[in-house]
Amino acid sequence: MLGFAVRRLLTLVPLLLIVSLVFFLMLRLGRGDPALDYLRLSQLPPTDDALALAREQLGLDQPLAAQYWSWLSGALRLDLGRSWSTGRPVLEEVLHFLPASLQLAGTALLLVVLVGLPLGLLAALYRDRWPDHLTRAIAFLGVSLPNFWLGFLLVLLFSVQLGWLPAMGRDGPASIIMPAVATATMSACVTLRLMRSAVLGVLGERHLVFARARGLPRRTILGRHVVLNAMIPPLTALGLHVGELLGGAMVVEMVFAWPGLGRYALLAITNRDFPVLQGFVLVMTLVFVLCNLLVDLAYAWVDPRIRFGARAA
Amino acid sequence: MKVRLALLLVAVLLGAAVFAPWLAPFDPAETSLASRLLPPSALHWLGTDHLGRDVLSRLLWGARASMGAVAIILALVLALGSLVGATAGLLGGVVDAMLMRVADAFMTVPTLVLALFFIGALGTGLTNVVIAITLSHWAWYARLVRGLTLSLRARDYVAAARVAGASRLDVARRHVLPAVGGQLAVLASLDLGHWMLHVAGLSFLGLGLAAPAAEWGIMINDARPFFRVAPMLVLLPGAAILLTVLAFNLLGDALRDRLDPALQGHAH
Amino acid sequence: METPLLRRSLLATATLAWMPQPVSRPRAATAAARSLTFSWPVNAGPLDPHGYSANQMYAQSMLYEPLVRYVEGGGIQPALATAWRQEGRDWVFTLRRGVRFSDGTPFDAAAVVANIRAVLGRRQNHAWLDLVAQIEDAEAVDAGTVRLRLAHAYYPALPELALIRPLRFASPAVLRPEGGVSAPVGTGPWVLAETVWGERDVFTRNTLYWGEAPALERVVVKVVADANTRALTLETGEIDLTYGTDQLDGDTFRRFATDPRFTTAVSPPLATRMLAVNSGRSPTAELAVRQAIQHGVDREALVRHVLLDAEPAAQTLFAPNFPYTDLGLPPFGFDRARAEALLEEAGWVRAAQRGGSRRKQGQELAFDLCFVGSDALQKALAEAIQGDLARIGMAVRLLGEDAATFYGRQRSGEFGMIFADTWGAPYDPHAFLGSMRQPAHADYQAQRGLPMKAEIDRRIGAVLVSTEEEHRAAEYRWLLTTLHEQAVYLPVSFLTNKLVYRKGFGTVPFGDTRYEIPFAQMRRG
Repeated sequence: MLGFAVRRLLTLVPLLLIVSLVFFLMLRLGRGDPALDYLRLSQLPPTDDALALAREQLGLDQPLAAQYWSWLSGALRLDLGRSWSTGRPVLEEVLHFLPASLQLAGTALLLVVLVGLPLGLLAALYRDRWPDHLTRAIAFLGVSLPNFWLGFLLVLLFSVQLGWLPAMGRDGPASIIMPAVATATMSACVTLRLMRSAVLGVLGERHLVFARARGLPRRTILGRHVVLNAMIPPLTALGLHVGELLGGAMVVEMVFAWPGLGRYALLAITNRDFPVLQGFVLVMTLVFVLCNLLVDLAYAWVDPRIRFGARAA
Repeated sequence: MKVRLALLLVAVLLGAAVFAPWLAPFDPAETSLASRLLPPSALHWLGTDHLGRDVLSRLLWGARASMGAVAIILALVLALGSLVGATAGLLGGVVDAMLMRVADAFMTVPTLVLALFFIGALGTGLTNVVIAITLSHWAWYARLVRGLTLSLRARDYVAAARVAGASRLDVARRHVLPAVGGQLAVLASLDLGHWMLHVAGLSFLGLGLAAPAAEWGIMINDARPFFRVAPMLVLLPGAAILLTVLAFNLLGDALRDRLDPALQGHAH
Repeated sequence: METPLLRRSLLATATLAWMPQPVSRPRAATAAARSLTFSWPVNAGPLDPHGYSANQMYAQSMLYEPLVRYVEGGGIQPALATAWRQEGRDWVFTLRRGVRFSDGTPFDAAAVVANIRAVLGRRQNHAWLDLVAQIEDAEAVDAGTVRLRLAHAYYPALPELALIRPLRFASPAVLRPEGGVSAPVGTGPWVLAETVWGERDVFTRNTLYWGEAPALERVVVKVVADANTRALTLETGEIDLTYGTDQLDGDTFRRFATDPRFTTAVSPPLATRMLAVNSGRSPTAELAVRQAIQHGVDREALVRHVLLDAEPAAQTLFAPNFPYTDLGLPPFGFDRARAEALLEEAGWVRAAQRGGSRRKQGQELAFDLCFVGSDALQKALAEAIQGDLARIGMAVRLLGEDAATFYGRQRSGEFGMIFADTWGAPYDPHAFLGSMRQPAHADYQAQRGLPMKAEIDRRIGAVLVSTEEEHRAAEYRWLLTTLHEQAVYLPVSFLTNKLVYRKGFGTVPFGDTRYEIPFAQMRRG
């Protein structure tokens, strides 16, 4: 098990290297003059002298390979550079905002599991009867809803009309309810649909027919065979949902003034604060990759075939 | 029934987009400060926005911008994905390995985060939003096309064509593309709604600046300060997005049922 | 000039006094009776008196003091210097006695020289400010007297010494040789007591302050990034005050102005919100087109419906409450018929179909209007101006772009019209005019096509080193009249600071310049 984890981790290293290189090149070869952006963010007038000085200070006069190496060697020492607009270490700033975003995405993930799986099971068990039709209709609507718009609807209903929940901010457990629901809805609906079809698939399998023939009670069959087996496909897909949830959380944050990475990243984008952009995307990638690794490990733990498969390859 | 409903919805929305200049009762950019934030009336069926512009006209023109953006993304993603995928699959070797590592890198990052990063690198604007979404999704298609190309290349009739002296290009055009086309159509139709939501999300964040062009996400962003006084300005464009994504998803499901019976009953 | 909102705000206390008092008490009030909670979008920063960027000006002005102070209208009053005189090109300052930095270090001539040399050591950082280029050196005449040696007899030396940065003073003990400060230590009424990144900065009284101690004991500045949250926290009593040009958006400010639980006020004009019109590019190269723009835009409507009456409409480049600017220039006035007549005369005629834009010799009357796309207010103004100009047959293409591209256009002159606010007191008018000679400024680009541009630049250069008051006034009259007549600026409104606080909080005056928040003069009760 440990060996599997280490092997999976090792395959990530070259991948992350390529990711960082691609992003580095995109920024450096992209539009505009970073030295000009730097001066603007430092509120210095862009005279020719100042531009030359800035290029030297930022190392922009060096060959690209040298620039990449200096960034990479910094990143390996957990030094992602300093923000051009605040002058503070990027890593420190990203880590300051990350917990709020992770809290939102994590709560949303919990909702996805706690709502998506049971409703999917329900729909499958009541196949073609009204609970099935209803949940499927809701699920279909849910995957088409813009998450930020759902956020506005919730605010209108629960804050403006009913006054039950705070419209914005991160203050107490009540404040996370609406942002988490808005973030989770799409993934929960996808999970619901996956779970339903997985349950239907398992219900049709042969060993169930045997189990039923052996006279096992319906409850046991459902619990031991159907649910456990059917949960595997939707749980595998959770890894992908983590990405959607992280991205979705950043959009939803803007509706609820949730103090996460969303606003921070947005400011870096409109400011063209390159060190922040680079650090932000790297940290998000790392979070995403590690979450997927966790899902894989959990899955391998449940299903030993994966481990053997990995060894064979 | 599902197919007909999907086609009907898509046709209505496309009609709105294509015929917006004739259907819209007003110029979508015509401001009239004296009549700002008006409720619906006989003159302005859906009211006016914070600059006194006709909301109905802006919604109709917005269909153009939003659906146009998705159409361009569709074309770009298919072109880029097929090009890279087919090249990797047909040439193999080092080229294949390199292209696929790059594709892997793009697939390692959550798509919205990736799109945000690209807009940071390229600058804001609707054009760059379209490019960013293309760049954050092409890899999935490249993977698919490469896989299909590889499996096709192993088939007898393709090998026979090669033996008969057809060039690699010929093989790609005559045999590989048609076979891949169906699969791509299914995947793309399922992704249309997804892209639509991405475009809307990014313009809602204020990254798809294209004033005074009406685009649904931008309309929502514009209307945010007036959310408490005139919530309809936020709700209407959102409803338009919902309806369009719903139509795309219906179409995607229907298309999958029709073209890909093997998948039937799987994810719905 | 006085708008209804302005009037209402100034009279707010009187007119609303009969209204029932709210029963709910703000949370902060019970917590600390002599403390005030404010909010700002970011932390105060490293608080280097000579630094820019991450250093927030409101906080720099709380900790650091200038030699002389600027008061509204252009007056100069003593601060750390009690007397001054001009000796040829030099300025000699008598320093206030008995002043100490908050670390106990005495404020003397050596401290002044150390700070000024720290600024001169990094001249390239301060190239935007003429005074820094003019100062050759600073010398201590004796412990209480300092001589500033200037290259020319530079008349705006005093208002520029009053700026929040870079010519203020930190304790010599904290000045680092490589630039910056190791700790924020100044002579001002406040010291930084605590800073928690992303959450708050806390300022407390400077016990060694030479002047009258502030009535408040503590100022807590919470980090609140967006206007919506700020409005909400003000409503719940989490913060006591909003103060600034756009701390709240227009509709929200209006809501507070009509809410009997709150007091609102609007400051006198502090700067000008305007657009530069490019005289170096067709079709705005034609005077008739530029004048038609002036007549074609309904400023009163912009102010009423977009700015929601929180700022007075502007008819001239500078408000009359600045030095040398009260000239009584005739306003252009909103007059669509006049604008159309000007265009007809100049040969721009309407195309056959109704509603189309005008043409002359096959060329369409069309140009770009550039703004920062993420700035909702600029966007709304741009869209409204576009609508106005369309009525007189001008096709305005709106280019809402990110800040980098926008400032790039200001530098390169690739615009028809572009937003370019003035800098406000104490920069206006002299420093703002000074920058008109720099090609990297939107103003230079806008004026590039004027036949008298060389003359304008020469006269600006001359007025800045002129020592005769009357001569200066005459030169400013010529300059401002020429710029006004040539219509290279479309002034929209005069920027104001707006403040909102809970009724009954106490007294909150306005600062003399845009970025100064006079916490030391605020009191509760």
